[in-house]
Order: sequence, then C-alpha cells, then structure tokens
Amino acid sequence: MRVEPRVAYLFLSMLQARVGASVVSRLGDLNPADVLALPAGEIAARVKLTEKGWRAFEELKESFDPATVLARLEEKGIGAVTFADEGYPSALAEIPDPPPALFVDGDVPLGPTVALVGSRKASATGIEAARTLGRALGEREVCVASGLALGIDAAAHEGAVEAGGPTIGVLGCGIDVVYPRSNRLLFGRVKSGGGIVSEYYLGEAPLQWRFPARNRIIAGLSDVVVVVEAPEKSGALITARHALEAGRDVWAVPGPFAFAECRGSNALLADGAGVLWDLDRFLEVVAPEAASARLPVEQDAAAGMEPIPAELPEKEAAALAGVGFEPAGVDVVARRVADFAGGVEMRELLSALALLELKGYVTRDAGGAFVRNSIGGPSRNPGGMRW
Amino acid sequence: MSVCRVRSLSLFGIDALPVEVEVDVGAGLPGFSIVGLPDAAVQEARERVRVAISNSGYKFPTKKVIVNLAPANLRKEGPAFDLPIALAVLAASGVVSEEGLEGMGVVGELSLDGGLRGVRGALSMAEGARREGLEALVLPKQNAPEAASIGGPGVYGVHSLAEAVDFIAGEKDVAPSSPAANGRETAEEPIDDFADVAGQRYAKRALEVTAAGGHNILMNGPPGSGKTMLARRLPGILPPLTREESIAVTKVHSAAGEGGGALVERRPFRAPHHTISTSGLAGGGSNPRPGEVSLAHHGVLFLDEFPEFNRATLEVLRQPMEDGQVTISRVAATLTYPARFTLVCSMNPCPCGYSGDRRRACRCSAGQIERYQSRISGPLLDRIDLFVDVPRLTREELRGSSEAAETSGEIRARVAAAREVQLARGGVSNAALAGRKLRATCALGGDAEALFSRAIDRMALSGRAHDRVLRVARTIADLAGEEDIAVEHVAEALNYRRAVAVEG
Repeated sequence: MRVEPRVAYLFLSMLQARVGASVVSRLGDLNPADVLALPAGEIAARVKLTEKGWRAFEELKESFDPATVLARLEEKGIGAVTFADEGYPSALAEIPDPPPALFVDGDVPLGPTVALVGSRKASATGIEAARTLGRALGEREVCVASGLALGIDAAAHEGAVEAGGPTIGVLGCGIDVVYPRSNRLLFGRVKSGGGIVSEYYLGEAPLQWRFPARNRIIAGLSDVVVVVEAPEKSGALITARHALEAGRDVWAVPGPFAFAECRGSNALLADGAGVLWDLDRFLEVVAPEAASARLPVEQDAAAGMEPIPAELPEKEAAALAGVGFEPAGVDVVARRVADFAGGVEMRELLSALALLELKGYVTRDAGGAFVRNSIGGPSRNPGGMRW
Repeated sequence: MSVCRVRSLSLFGIDALPVEVEVDVGAGLPGFSIVGLPDAAVQEARERVRVAISNSGYKFPTKKVIVNLAPANLRKEGPAFDLPIALAVLAASGVVSEEGLEGMGVVGELSLDGGLRGVRGALSMAEGARREGLEALVLPKQNAPEAASIGGPGVYGVHSLAEAVDFIAGEKDVAPSSPAANGRETAEEPIDDFADVAGQRYAKRALEVTAAGGHNILMNGPPGSGKTMLARRLPGILPPLTREESIAVTKVHSAAGEGGGALVERRPFRAPHHTISTSGLAGGGSNPRPGEVSLAHHGVLFLDEFPEFNRATLEVLRQPMEDGQVTISRVAATLTYPARFTLVCSMNPCPCGYSGDRRRACRCSAGQIERYQSRISGPLLDRIDLFVDVPRLTREELRGSSEAAETSGEIRARVAAAREVQLARGGVSNAALAGRKLRATCALGGDAEALFSRAIDRMALSGRAHDRVLRVARTIADLAGEEDIAVEHVAEALNYRRAVAVEG
C-alpha cells in the first residue's frame, strides 16, 4: 500500500513518538511514502528498530487511520503541518533531524524569531532578564520562541505577551496537554498571541526524553537562541547545541562569578557565544529595523545608571550599598551594611529595604533575598513582585 | 428514709456541671448497682468503693445499695465519683451525718486502701462549685492548691476516705488550702535564651513582632538553619499571662490531666509531631479531651515541618484560628474548648530542603517544589501574618560574630510593654484585631497612607494581605512605643509579606 506523503509523515510522526528515536533521519534514500508499503522486516532493518520499536511499528500500522487522526485534530481546532506540506516552517526544515509533522494550536508566526531559554529554577535576576528581553523583542514584533516551562521560559513568554508581540511555545508533550499545570493561564495567552506547537499528537504524556527532543524544534524555529540563565546540566544548553548544529546564532546573558546557576550560560560565553551585556546593542544586531524608534527610552535607562543616586535618604543609601547583584538574605545585607556604616538596627534596615523595593531600586526574590534591580533602573519593574 | 445525697461535679469539656449522687440502702438481696448513664470507669467504682470502705475500717452495708447519678441524662465518666459515692453510702448507713455534707461538693478517686488519687479538672470543679453556691469543696490533697487558686468556696484537700469522714464529722480539722501551697510551676526554670543563637537577626526581629502582637508566623528555610532552635526560644520572650488567661490555661491543662497541680504561670508552648491525628490536634476521643490547639490556648502552637502534616489534619486549624475555640461533636455530646493560640510553623523550601540555598544545590525538580509547597492550603496561609525566610548561617556567623546578641530578657521587656499597650487600648492583642476595631486602631496618617497605597499597587496586595500588613505595622509601632503608625513601621511590615516561594 502506497499512500500520499502527508499521511506517511503523519504515520512517521506518531511512530517516532512511540519509538522515542528519530526514524526519519535513518530512512536514508527510502521514500517516506513507501514506509507503509514495504514489509515490516525490511523497514525495521533499515531504520534499525529495536524489538520494542518493531512491535510499536506493527501495532501502529494495524490501528493507524489517517482520517480519524485528522478528524480528532479538527475537532479541537488544531492544525497539522507535515514535512511534505507547503506550510512547513522553512527554517525548521533545515535542521539535521526535523520532525515529520508539527501539530499547531494557533499560528506559527512568520518573520524573525528569537528563542529565549534557560533554567526552570532561575533566580529573580534571570527571570527579570528573560521578561525584559521578551518585552523588548515583542515591542519590535520579533517572535519569542520558548518551551512554556517554568522559570525563564514562562518569563520570556510573559514578556512577549505583555508587549503584544508574537510568541510561540514548543511543547514536549501532546499538543493538547497542559504541562506544567500551573502555566495553564500562560498557555492560553501564548495561544492567542501566537501559537503552541508540538511534534506529539493529542494526549501524549510529558515523558522525560521528550523535552531534550523538543529543544531541537525550539532551535530550529529560531534565527537566534539566547540562553538567559542555565546551570551546567540544563536543557537550555541542549537547545544551544542544536542551534549551533543548525547554524543559528547563540547568545548568552552573562551571570555573576562563581554561581552554579549561571555556570552553563557563562561557559557558553567562554566558548564564544554572543555576549548579551547590553539590551540595545543586542536588539540592534537581532532586530535592527526599529532601533531608531526607541531612542527616548534609552535616555531614560541612562538616567537610572547612577550606582547610588544622590537623592536617596541616608539610611536607604546605606541599605542599597549592602544589596549586591546576586540575591542576598536580609542578614547578609545587614552584615555588609554594618561593615561599612557601623551597626544598623534590624528594624531600620527592614524599613529601608521595603522603601527601596517600592522605589524600584531592589527586588525581593522568591526566597526573600534582595538583589539590585539591574535592568532599566528604578523606572521599570512591573513584575517580579507578587504578594 | 434511707436515701442520702452528696453533691459532686462532673467535668464536661472544660467546665464542671453539678451532679447529685443519691444512694438508697434498702431491703433485698445484697447488691450494689449504679444508674444514671455511668461509663465503664464509673461502673468500676462499685469495686473500688466497696473495698475502700472496708479497708478504711467501715462496714459496707449488706443490703441492696442503689446509686443514682442525677441528672440522669448527662453522661458521667471518670473515677471522680468514687469519693462522693463512698460518702453517700456511709451516710446512708449512718456512719456520716447528712448535715455534715450540707453545702459541700465532693470529688475524688479512691484507691483500694482507702487513699485518694488526684482528678482531672480540679480548677474547673472549684469554679463550678462557686457557681453552684457551695460553701466547701472536698477533694484529693494534690488537687487542692490548683482548686484554691481561683478563690471561692473553701477548698479542703484530704488524703483518704477516713480523713474525709473525720473532717465531715467535725472530728478532724483540715485547714483550707491556699493557692501558694504548691510552688512547682512558679519556680523559674532555666529556659533557652535568644542570646545563644548566632546571627539570624532578621528571624529574631520577626519573632519579637510575633510575640508582641500574637501574630501567626511561618519560617521558611533549609534544614539546619535554626528554625526549630529559634521557635523553641519563643516562650522566653512571650509576655506574661494575665490572671484571667492564667486561669483559662490552667482549666484546659487540668481537664486534659496535664495540670501541674497549680496555676499555670507561663504561656504554653506545644510542639506536636507531624504524625499527629486530627483528634490529637483538635481534641476528641470517646472520652473527649482537649487537643493540642486547646493546650496551646493563650500560648504557642509550633508545627515543625508544616507541609509534612496531614492536610486534612491541618484543616481543623481553621475554625480555632478564626473563632478562638474548637467545637468537637461526638455521639455522646458536643463540646467546645477554647483555642486562641499563636501559630508558629516552619517548613523547608522544597523536599530536599536546599532550594534557594547558596552553598548547596537543590535536587528537586520545579514540579516537585511546587507540589511540596501546595501541600499547605491557601486558607491556612491566609491566616498567617508573618512570612520569614531563615537562611543557613555562613561559617563566620556560626563562629560567633563580635557583636553580642540580645538576651531573651531584654526582648521580653519590650514585648511585655508593647502587649500592655495593646491590652490597654482594645483589650485584645493586635493579632485579634478585625473589622471596625482594626480600622480604628490602625488608621494611617499622611505619609504612611501614601506609602501604603503605593505598596498596594506595586506589590498587588490582596484585601486580606492589606489587613495583615496593618496589624503587623500596628505591633511594630507599639514595640517602638509610638502612638501613630509611621512610614517606617509600615515599611518594615511590608517585609514580612508572603514571598512567591510559599504562594498557595
């Protein structure tokens, strides 16, 4: 039985989701449309299927009915683009191991795309950086791609949505599965601001191996990949590797010295990734066309560059000097302040810190630690604080 | 007529209700039965009373003895009726004169040799006796100082059945007990001092605010950061109990059989293990007893490793935290125990404990951390006023810094002064402020109001969080001895708000 290519790719897609390995890249000169026609033994030998893979193949072949598969998608308003289709993103088609089919909820935004990836357990600084980058890219109508995970991913999507820019979320589970659950509101916002894509069909579980695999899609859909904050063993580094293999630019946001949380992203810098130390320079390279429109904001940012503004009251200035670029608990801040300003009453320090937070000079992170508000000075800090 | 009556009291919740013990010694086959909803312990009084009477040198009547405990619809439990039953039997057989028992309440458990054992709830019994207009209360010697401490009827402690008989007959003089007779609880026990804790000034300050205002607090930090050590030192800085509070606390402890035989002078500190059952925490059992929430009345309930507690168990905290009392419904009865406590809890930020720690990597996935933190229900978190992060100490801090830490005594003096201000102002601690009272006592002036409205916008404070900040700011102002809440008080209070890490 020979089928049309679209159906064959759909079949391959579902086979790959079960086998857990790339089948398409091992097909060689074999025409995908022949997969369903050739005897199972020959296919298995060609693509080196394990015994388990073979069984999955047989089972799937038995039950596979393209009409039902597509009807179920249609019912949910989800589209399917296969490798054989016109609408398959051309950038994605260039990577070494493109997914045979992509399920799309919403739209895949056209135009330039930048991936913002990083640790799920990021620091307040990292989250803030991801949000700011997402917002800045969104303002320039550059699509932000990420993985809809917690931490950096979520902040990047949120930033893009806030700015009203396009964004695309790539899932490591079935296209209709919301994982992690706590991001369900964000899922809706990303869907309406752009789209959600996955190479996995409806209902597929978020298995561990599927996340590294989906990272190649994030890299493949993007022109540039930015690693915001990543420890040494991080999925974000896998995305960066895929990006390099596919010939995309990789940037990283520099993190502080000697922090395990930033070793991965800093190592990328050491290996020659683009150094994202200044937002405007980055934007000029990545999205040059709209650069002139943002000049007034740059002046604003420059105004907030003074390390410790002179207009701060004495106690707040002393407290601000005790807050570093890395998060530090109140007791650490108290010790630093005591070191250069003599003793400080805990109650005075606490009220000074709260006032600084309100004025936007410092941010309190999830662990109750204080950190200097690095980006944009005191004027911009809508996120990062919840009750 | 051979029916004799002795008045006694029965513990019902933490209150004592009057019970009349009627004994009829009549013709018939010799026997001994008790009616009037007695439980097993009361039924067994038959054997104890019979043997104790014989062993005290009296003769148990060889007639049909029927004991009725009135009112007959109230369930009677416990061995406290032994002594009144024995005296009523002796009165019916003519050993004790009925006139001698006039206006007298009697409670006590008998031992087989005729000696007396202590009973639960002596203070409540004395209070009940006063309410009933009894002139005297005879009870076991070891309960006498506790019963005498509220002042009321004459309290006479006796050692044995024989002594009680002699006292009623007027043959022996027993001096009325005075509250000071037992000094065990009042003695200063050495307790842990805050000066022993290195560093952690932030957490100490938060605990000072907690103690002063009676606020609930949650400490979040990795293992070994000293959360438990800090919490255990909290009793040392709590304000002293007022006399009414002291009586209320003693009543609960005595009803639970945990009384020390005198008035409790120190605020209770209860630290149940996280495997505690629902009835252990709220109170209950077929013979209802106060649970940990009630034993912590006017004191501190410390729940270490908060998320490890069974979620259903923790839910029972909601009623007492709202109403200051806990109601237990059982087949036999519905009881209400007082339970106004300061909740102190501690938790790790994640299952492995090291999330957010600078020097040790956390091994938990983001999902695991989320699940761990969501084990505590939102409504419970809503009732917590202060959220404090307790980081692990650095090496220098552990070695002991040069600056001497404050002692518990110094902190306690500030706390006591602040609490006095609160009681003088509204009669309640700041933690109990609500509604109109809250708005009246926590009105903000000019600058403070401006700062607070800005904080509400910037930090997206909810309505409940808004009230929490006000209450805590009020306490901080009280600690500073200020009449009005100023900018710095509100600002400090804002630090204790819930961090994202413990978002419900």
